[in-house]
Amino acid sequence: MHWAPAPVEHGKGHGGGHNRNAAKAFVLIEGERASLALINPKLNETALSAEHNRVTIKATGMDNYHALVALRSQDHLHESAIRYHYMHGKPSGESPSQLMAYEKSVLEIEPAPYAREHWRYLSNTDAKFLLRFKGEPLAAADVRLTTANGTTSQFRSDAQGMVVIPLPEDFPTVRAGRMGNRASEFILSAEHLDGTQAFTTTLSADYHVNPEHWQSTELGLAVVGGGMLFGGLITWRTRRRKEKK
Amino acid sequence: MPFWKNLSVIRKVVQLLAFLFLVYGSVFVGFYSADKLSGAFPVLSCAYDAKTADYCVLIPLQHQLGHRLGPALSAGMFSLSLILPILTTLGTFLILFVLLNKAFCGWLCPLGFFQEVLGMIGQKLRLNRTESLDDKLVDRIRPAKWLMLGLLVVLLPLASGLGFVGHELGDPFCKICPSRILTSLFAGQLNQLYIDTSSTGYMILSIIADLLFGLILVLSLTMRQPFCRICPMLALHALFRKVGLVKLVKNYTSRCEKCGLCAKACPMDIREIHTSKEKDILMPDCTLCGRCVEFCPDKGVMALKYAVIPIKVSDPQYFKERNKAQKRWEGKQKPSRRVKKDQ
Repeated sequence: MHWAPAPVEHGKGHGGGHNRNAAKAFVLIEGERASLALINPKLNETALSAEHNRVTIKATGMDNYHALVALRSQDHLHESAIRYHYMHGKPSGESPSQLMAYEKSVLEIEPAPYAREHWRYLSNTDAKFLLRFKGEPLAAADVRLTTANGTTSQFRSDAQGMVVIPLPEDFPTVRAGRMGNRASEFILSAEHLDGTQAFTTTLSADYHVNPEHWQSTELGLAVVGGGMLFGGLITWRTRRRKEKK
Repeated sequence: MPFWKNLSVIRKVVQLLAFLFLVYGSVFVGFYSADKLSGAFPVLSCAYDAKTADYCVLIPLQHQLGHRLGPALSAGMFSLSLILPILTTLGTFLILFVLLNKAFCGWLCPLGFFQEVLGMIGQKLRLNRTESLDDKLVDRIRPAKWLMLGLLVVLLPLASGLGFVGHELGDPFCKICPSRILTSLFAGQLNQLYIDTSSTGYMILSIIADLLFGLILVLSLTMRQPFCRICPMLALHALFRKVGLVKLVKNYTSRCEKCGLCAKACPMDIREIHTSKEKDILMPDCTLCGRCVEFCPDKGVMALKYAVIPIKVSDPQYFKERNKAQKRWEGKQKPSRRVKKDQ
């Protein structure tokens, strides 16, 4: 089970267009009978109810990241799905690191750190995560990456429970400019067996086309060099003029 | 002169600490806390930088004009809630401004510090430095900071929000800001140094940004504070300079007219400080570096004050020692080619 943004209804745009306080809908894929909650930056939980696995999150009046959590236990299997969602409102006064580190489920993938202002997960970059079991780092456990663009790969956490995920360059079409490309989704999932009990967790987030497709550092360096030459020319001319006087 | 008595050395130490904090601050305050600090620290460093602890006031100002006020006006909607974020931005800026006044520029700005360090390198490399620009050139350059503030920080973002110009001009100052490139480079990121080929507008803006950055790298070696002279922050500070607690005051004497050492010492070439008969000589271009006070040879003529408390007052003994220290630092200057030819 994992969280994903709800498909946009025709004519309604993305969650209210430019209104950043507009409600946002998410669906819990394969999440029947799961208990749902929204945890705000102050770690207060609000139970959510889903309609056909779809929940609509309204602004809580509090700024910063909120966690969408789905939990389900059946016999020996304990499942969780987590997603972080930024909401606008009054400053909470709390650091998002508190929410990320808060134990939301027994097995959990914690972003270390999650993207912040002017940052986002980008293709062809590394993203770091901490795998935790009962609040402690879980070493040598497999973490599977699945993207909406069709990539699947597997990684293993290190002795400190950290796992570095290279986000793939798998967008089928890339247009020049940030506005021309829609974000895609990635899901990280992990499993762990503890005696007779099995635990699974997923963390989903969006990732974007890396702007390196239309931004050239080499050209940038060349232009800086041009600027330096121009600066040298100005200095030389100023000096010549002064000497002539 | 012991370094702890030298105001310029003290200022450099403060600038260095500010630079480390503003560029690498998130290492000290935590990755997410950096954003919190950033909202309240209006100096020239920015949110594009991975490790920064601060945020330039010009970013929210452009975004609030371009993303909120402009679209709302174009849709025919106007309410107090639209200008409240802009007022909050300016309000938080003003609180810090009251405490520090234009000393932001001279004591905290990372780009200002970087230019000064390049200037010191230029001195040590014995590059033939232009200590003062021509009066005419200074007069021609001065309005540029107002143009940068009015056009790039206010008008173009607003016009972009209203739909008159493209998205590219939603935050045009950030797009050409050399501090964005500088602080991100110092944080080990090359991703702000680029040419953007996604549209003609973005391409032109990125070319201007990189050209400007290259230009500053070279000009700073031989010229004092080249970018500060056109910085919109200087203009924004100038608007509010009368409310700041840090003051630059002068007790005019008849000797001032003939002396002019204060104007020569001024890195911003504010020649009016030596002719002005006003008590308050905090000019729009001043960065409150205090060099004019250091290089004033007369007792009590110039002073840097925090409200009514004097921080630094001109003094003949200090002047002598400071002059010696300056000469020791500069060493023997290389004669120009013209002088060599004449010999």
